[in-house]
Amino acid sequence: MTTTDVVTEPTMKVYVGVWLGMIVIVAIEAALASAHVSSGMLLASLLVLAFLEAAVALRYFMHLKYEVPLLFWTLIPGLLLAFIMMNQFWADAARMKALRFPAP
Amino acid sequence: MVVDGMHAAAMEPSPYLITSRKLTMWLFIVADAATFGAILFGYGYLRYGSPDWTKPFHFSPNIVNALIMTVVLLTSSLTMLGGVAAAREGRRSATFRWLGATVLLGSLFAILHLREWSGMLHEGWSLSANPMGGTPLVGALFFSITGLHLLHVISGVVGIIVIAIGFQTKRLTAGHVETMGLYWHFVDLVWMFVFPLVYLLNVN
Repeated sequence: MTTTDVVTEPTMKVYVGVWLGMIVIVAIEAALASAHVSSGMLLASLLVLAFLEAAVALRYFMHLKYEVPLLFWTLIPGLLLAFIMMNQFWADAARMKALRFPAP
Repeated sequence: MVVDGMHAAAMEPSPYLITSRKLTMWLFIVADAATFGAILFGYGYLRYGSPDWTKPFHFSPNIVNALIMTVVLLTSSLTMLGGVAAAREGRRSATFRWLGATVLLGSLFAILHLREWSGMLHEGWSLSANPMGGTPLVGALFFSITGLHLLHVISGVVGIIVIAIGFQTKRLTAGHVETMGLYWHFVDLVWMFVFPLVYLLNVN
């Protein structure tokens, strides 16, 4: 493999299959939202499905599957770590809720 | 070190085996993903911390409209892939048609979004007003998050038009089409989080 703009790609048939899979995930998300699911369970389910959909998009639509692994390891783990670090703010959100600011 | 008047470093192969143009787009995407991630975390923080949060959406027509928008955007990613594949094979007219379809779908997404905004503004929603009586943060966050995404969509549509014309007139290469495709798929990827978190979690 040489330094080039153009990489080996799967066929349009594969892309259509991936697209259909994404449509199914979106349909499942909408079905979950219309069902009587607890808000915690709904949030967890939607996040899992969204990350699954994003992973598929990254691998196939954005061709990360067909690039050298170093590109993935350079870009994605650091980004995910940043997202994990942001989770430390939830405790303060809970504190803010307990303060019960009146509506303006 | 200088070799034949050039820096040796400039002659080294990229460790990622991609062009600097494509690597630059990847770096932009990671930075932009961090921006959207921070904004969505901010939304979650304020939502969780607001005892008087209100859910503005009904399954019909709001979620149905957002579902149509989602399918339109996903389909535009498929047509973009068609454009990239055609560009790789040097089929300029086919590339132009695929990219034209992507522009139409992207424009349709923007029109549906603006129509939704218009309806909400008509109901009294704004950056600082909540007609349901709860916290005004609902409107502020909704318009900010979806507005930033819409800005990306409109920028992408303009970019694809420029790339399509450039490729058709042989001023740009298949690499340009592929790099534009990366951006467009990223816009789609962001919506995969905006749709469930901003719409589906706010069904009344």
